Amino acid sequence: MRKFEVLNEWVDINSRVLVLGCGNGDILKELKKQKDIRASGLDLDENKVYEAISEGLPVIQGDINRDLQDWPKKSFDFIIAHDIVQIMTRPDETIKQMVELGGKVIISFPNFAYFMIRFGMLFSGRMPKSKTLPYEWYNTPNIHLFTIKDFKEFCRDEKITIHKEAYTGAGKRKTSKKIIPNFFAEFAYFLIS
Amino acid sequence: MEIIKESKFDSFNSRKSVGIVETKYFYFGEPPDEMLLESGSKLGPVTIAYETYGTLNNCRSNAILIFHALSGDAHAAGFNSESDKKPGWWDGMVGPGKPFDTLKYYVICANIIGGCKGSTGPASINSATGKPYGLDFPLISIKDIITAQKKLIEYLGINTLLCVVGGSMGGMQALQWIVSYPEISKGAMLIATAPSHSAQEIAFNSISRYAITTDPNWNCGDYYNGSRPEIGLSIARMIGHVTYISEGAIHKKFGRSIKDDPGIKDGRSIKDDPGIKDDPEKKFGRDIAAFRSKDDENRNIKCPGPADFTNEFEVGSYLKYQGEAFIKRFDANSYLYITKAIDDFDVSSGYSNLADALSKVKAKCFVISFSTDWLYPAEQSLKIVKALKINGIETTYTNFDSPFGHDAFLIEDERLKKIFTGFLKSLEE
Repeated sequence: MRKFEVLNEWVDINSRVLVLGCGNGDILKELKKQKDIRASGLDLDENKVYEAISEGLPVIQGDINRDLQDWPKKSFDFIIAHDIVQIMTRPDETIKQMVELGGKVIISFPNFAYFMIRFGMLFSGRMPKSKTLPYEWYNTPNIHLFTIKDFKEFCRDEKITIHKEAYTGAGKRKTSKKIIPNFFAEFAYFLIS
Repeated sequence: MEIIKESKFDSFNSRKSVGIVETKYFYFGEPPDEMLLESGSKLGPVTIAYETYGTLNNCRSNAILIFHALSGDAHAAGFNSESDKKPGWWDGMVGPGKPFDTLKYYVICANIIGGCKGSTGPASINSATGKPYGLDFPLISIKDIITAQKKLIEYLGINTLLCVVGGSMGGMQALQWIVSYPEISKGAMLIATAPSHSAQEIAFNSISRYAITTDPNWNCGDYYNGSRPEIGLSIARMIGHVTYISEGAIHKKFGRSIKDDPGIKDGRSIKDDPGIKDDPEKKFGRDIAAFRSKDDENRNIKCPGPADFTNEFEVGSYLKYQGEAFIKRFDANSYLYITKAIDDFDVSSGYSNLADALSKVKAKCFVISFSTDWLYPAEQSLKIVKALKINGIETTYTNFDSPFGHDAFLIEDERLKKIFTGFLKSLEE
């Protein structure tokens, strides 16, 4: 699967896009190239921010848990939180803030109910480590891991509409509807508003 | 501008230097077409000293206007003559292959009105009287300061700038520019600046102005024929200088050392080490050694008493040296007028709030604060960033990690150069 393939597909040409936790700006760069977006990024890590700014990307050094609120509604067509929700202090509040800003929101995350993780815990009795969850239990920034089922229920409770879903597992895009995503999907993408 | 970190620079014949540059002069405001100032007063005729580096391209789209800070001048880069000891104040950033790349961009820097480095200011001759203006010089604002520079770029045949750039007071000018002239610049770099001064910032300037106006030689600004208010101006500079350096940097350099103590090594003073004690240059560094030998001869206030209250600590002696060096190149009345303009500055004046003031801004903005800058802390820059976000203006911001305090933008840093270069490149799109 090409890197950020799903994000590329879902984002409209020339749209205003904000990437939360954009790091060195790789997502923004790719979307600029493919979809000529008007980019914005937010990240806390100063060294990654310097990298992104050196590439000419308009990135603001700031805290995704706090700094979303300054932007007025309709500031962006798409707000993307790729592989970042699980480090947020209060994912519920931040996701709601993202949705309230208007436009479409893309949330993508590692599915904690992925069968390899389930079996790993079951048989090894150790906290899971994988390509999507590479950290040790004592130094991981992932404080709010969750599953696809958890997320869908959250959207239901918060009256958030899911427009599109996509799943990947073992590096491949899963397109069949019968795949039971909560079991077979390693990584999930949701387009919501 | 003296800074704590001694930096190497490219010599005038290096490929990385803009080389020998000529300061040029632009004249306007000849009566009856004097410049109308924000206060309602008029100023004319006006001289603007300026320098340019690089070449204006055919479409006139590559011009960058740099605004200097309080004690700066038009000489941002290169050398005015081969015998100059140091290049311009931003030589590290302006030149071939540097972020403000003079192979690509046409870089302009002018001395502000009210200044004393070639442009019309209180030390200039008032054509109406044939004598220096002194306090007859009208009050100037940051808006007036940029209006004069707008006339300069029009004279140079430029309708649109690629970028306006400035640090500290220069940043205020850049901020005012994108509000007053939203159509004229594609980008703006607002470095270590503020949308208006806080009480603390005004306090330091007020103390500095008090030092000058209570100097026995100030004589209500009428001192050009006699002795100058040197002590007052040097104290003002000492105050300013302390605020430009970070607490960490100044302590690292001087600590609690007593004067004549060249430092501590392995917990003991090295001043009596062989090879150090008899060599003032090694003991104190070249410039300070030369100053000290004259200082000890001429200037020390020798009173009987238990201690040398004025010169005892190394850092105090260093600041005294900074003050003495400053009075050779700056005018006391200019210091009053310019700090007043800075303290009066409020870009949201006339608007309901800062977001309202920035609502017509079209420029892509690069805002940067420095992590150890306690004079213009991140909070000041964040006010600007917030107002830009509210208006949906494309914004880049970092609280840049540097140990050098407010003056960090003058100090060479490869990471800083990369992000400046990256931003400027993004303006070309």
